[in-house]
Amino acid sequence: MLKIRDLSKTYSKGQVKAVDNINLEVRSGEIFGFLGPNGAGKTTTIKMMVGLLKPDSGHVYIDGIDVWENPLEAKKKISFVPDTPEIYDKLKGIEYLNFFADIYGIPKDVRQERIERYLDIFELKDAVGNIIGSYSHGMKQKLVLISALIHDPQLFILDEPMVGLDPKSSFKLKEIMRERCNEGKTVFFSTHVLDVAEKLCDRIAIINKGKIIALGTMSELRNRAGDNESLERIFLELTDDE
Amino acid sequence: MMNRILSLIKIDINNTYGLSAIKYRLKSKKDRWQIILFPIIILSLLPSYYLLVSGIYKMYDTFLVIGQKSMFLLYGILISQLILTFTGFLYVLSKYYFSNDMNILIPLPLRPRDIISAKFFTMMIHEYLTSLPIVLPFIITYGVKGNEGLIYWIYSLIILLFIPVIPLVLASIIVMAFMKFTNIKGKKDLVRIVGYAIMMILLIGFQLKIQSMAGSSMMNDEDFLYRLVTDSNLFVRKLGVSFPPSMWATLALYNYMSLTGFLYTILFVGLSLIGFAFMAFLSERVFFDGLIGSIEVHTSQGSGRVKASDFSKNYSAYIALGLKEVKLLLRTPIYLLNSVGGVVIFPILMIMSIFLEEAVPMGELNMLIGQNYHIINLVGIGYVTMLGILNCVGCTTFSREGKNLWIHRTMPIEVKDQIFGRVLSSLFVQLIGIIVLLGCLAYMGLINLQGIFLITILGLLGSIAMTELGMIIDIYRPLLEWDNPQKPMKQNLNVLIAMGVGSLYLLAIGFLTYKLMEIIDIIFIYGILAVVLIVSSYIFYSILLRLIKRQFEVLE
Repeated sequence: MLKIRDLSKTYSKGQVKAVDNINLEVRSGEIFGFLGPNGAGKTTTIKMMVGLLKPDSGHVYIDGIDVWENPLEAKKKISFVPDTPEIYDKLKGIEYLNFFADIYGIPKDVRQERIERYLDIFELKDAVGNIIGSYSHGMKQKLVLISALIHDPQLFILDEPMVGLDPKSSFKLKEIMRERCNEGKTVFFSTHVLDVAEKLCDRIAIINKGKIIALGTMSELRNRAGDNESLERIFLELTDDE
Repeated sequence: MMNRILSLIKIDINNTYGLSAIKYRLKSKKDRWQIILFPIIILSLLPSYYLLVSGIYKMYDTFLVIGQKSMFLLYGILISQLILTFTGFLYVLSKYYFSNDMNILIPLPLRPRDIISAKFFTMMIHEYLTSLPIVLPFIITYGVKGNEGLIYWIYSLIILLFIPVIPLVLASIIVMAFMKFTNIKGKKDLVRIVGYAIMMILLIGFQLKIQSMAGSSMMNDEDFLYRLVTDSNLFVRKLGVSFPPSMWATLALYNYMSLTGFLYTILFVGLSLIGFAFMAFLSERVFFDGLIGSIEVHTSQGSGRVKASDFSKNYSAYIALGLKEVKLLLRTPIYLLNSVGGVVIFPILMIMSIFLEEAVPMGELNMLIGQNYHIINLVGIGYVTMLGILNCVGCTTFSREGKNLWIHRTMPIEVKDQIFGRVLSSLFVQLIGIIVLLGCLAYMGLINLQGIFLITILGLLGSIAMTELGMIIDIYRPLLEWDNPQKPMKQNLNVLIAMGVGSLYLLAIGFLTYKLMEIIDIIFIYGILAVVLIVSSYIFYSILLRLIKRQFEVLE
């Protein structure tokens, strides 16, 4: 579903390698966790996947389509939830959702059914008629999640999705992620919360200083690190410089 | 306390003008080009400015001949102070009340007057950029042509430094009082927009009325000619009453050789300082009252639930985008006042100035035009086309997205839909402008059916070209980092650049029309205009197609 080939991005005239020649493949029906310390290159990688940051070299393929060669077709298959919900404060929640549904060409009855379903799940029904400026951070985050689910994307990409969500919503989100994978769709998300990654992900990649330093299922990572270590220990050992 | 204010000023200036960001951008090769390119674009504004300055230069002689050369100075100072006052309202409003840094500043142990003083100084810097280009040609012409002495130049420097103070103090006091009393729960935005519009119309009306009364009382004076000869400050004394501080500054400069000049300088500077102190004092009492309510957002009464009818049918991407743009324009007070407010106010002022004139010049106007509706049509088309830039919709459309631009860059929207949607939102504002203009023209009996048709159709065609031209500039260097909606709208250099380029374009078309009028029938000229506007719209459209695609990829 997602294939990353030799992807690199440098800043400050090539002095800082934010992403250094990474390769990844995520299969359909997988929940893929993307882990790493602050500034490791997680968000940079994700931005290159969704069309927000042009790679210096390398390719990102969504279902075989190159994101930077054929962006329109690739973007129809994905949706993106950024780490901070920057959205239009002066629109009503429902107007924002309708706008998304229009752009993705979702017919009225389908959008109504989907929007109502997710509004129920995230308990946003009583607020969606108000303007977004009146929402809390978490409510905005939920609205962005719903807008990203309206067109039922093949690949659901999330950057730190649990930040700002209350425990109930973050539980619901994990359920949705699992459900989507059962339907054969794909989820790719970055996180700091190692517990979540450990319990939820089919496979995990750990990135540090722009390079992927570990990749595999939880048990593969454990095998590499020695018996029954928690992901936290593995993470700390791998990302420790000294 | 001084230290606190100084550090607030420093951070506010840095934040407002993005100084740290410029340093950072100078390091990157791509952005460095933009910064170097910028002065070149500003140079393109020089031809129009040169015309203005040479006009001012000649004006001096006219006033010299009738022995009223002080009036020349008054003109420069009065115009710049009035412009500062009237533009100051919106500026103060956004700087004090709608900027996001208030969320950070209020919880800090700062007094209202610390915040207000710091913000006042940053505004002063911005206001010099507005006032100096207007007033400097007057001051320099007067000094050079009249061979004035050293003291004149020293006084000028002092006066120039203090020119923005009284206008900004006035605007600050009125806005602070206005915000305190309109801090009504519920429909606060609406109350404020309507209140602001009424306040501006009343203030401008008051100003026009005073000027016309002063003018006519002077002309009707039986001894007018006698006094004109004996009192070399007659014009200044009579017309200066419409804004006395300008009169004091003028008299200070005119009488710089005598004690009178010194006293007027003291008066001008002293009152500026007292005004500032009073404003700071007032801010302690009213500033937070108006502000606190502005930050919170009220949800509508009752439930925020939606009905089945709230789920819209499937609109095309460009319609959805255009509708979103229009909603944001109408719901963000600063955007509304600058876009719709801009296109509505000019025709209304035109009507008001005619209303308030003692001797109605309508007869003269009609005679001048000689029932030649074609002149009105052509001017009307030019005016509507120019509004296509002045409404600020096109040349700020990407800047206004700010941090939300990620939404458009990650969505599968075709570039042509981006263009159509955004042009449509500008045409919506233009239509309002056209309706108001046609209404005013009809009221004055200056339009017929053919004119309505021509101004609407050709005006809209011109608006498309102008909006696209603005969009080209805006997508080339979008201003995306902002904390205050005033920034992408009025503090955005793209607006200025678009005005420069747009007026060059309009001058060229005007010149073409003028030349054509000598050789072919007017009916054909409308046809040629239509073709020129359509062709240039298409050219701009093609440029936009490529530019938006590229910029959406490379922006970081």
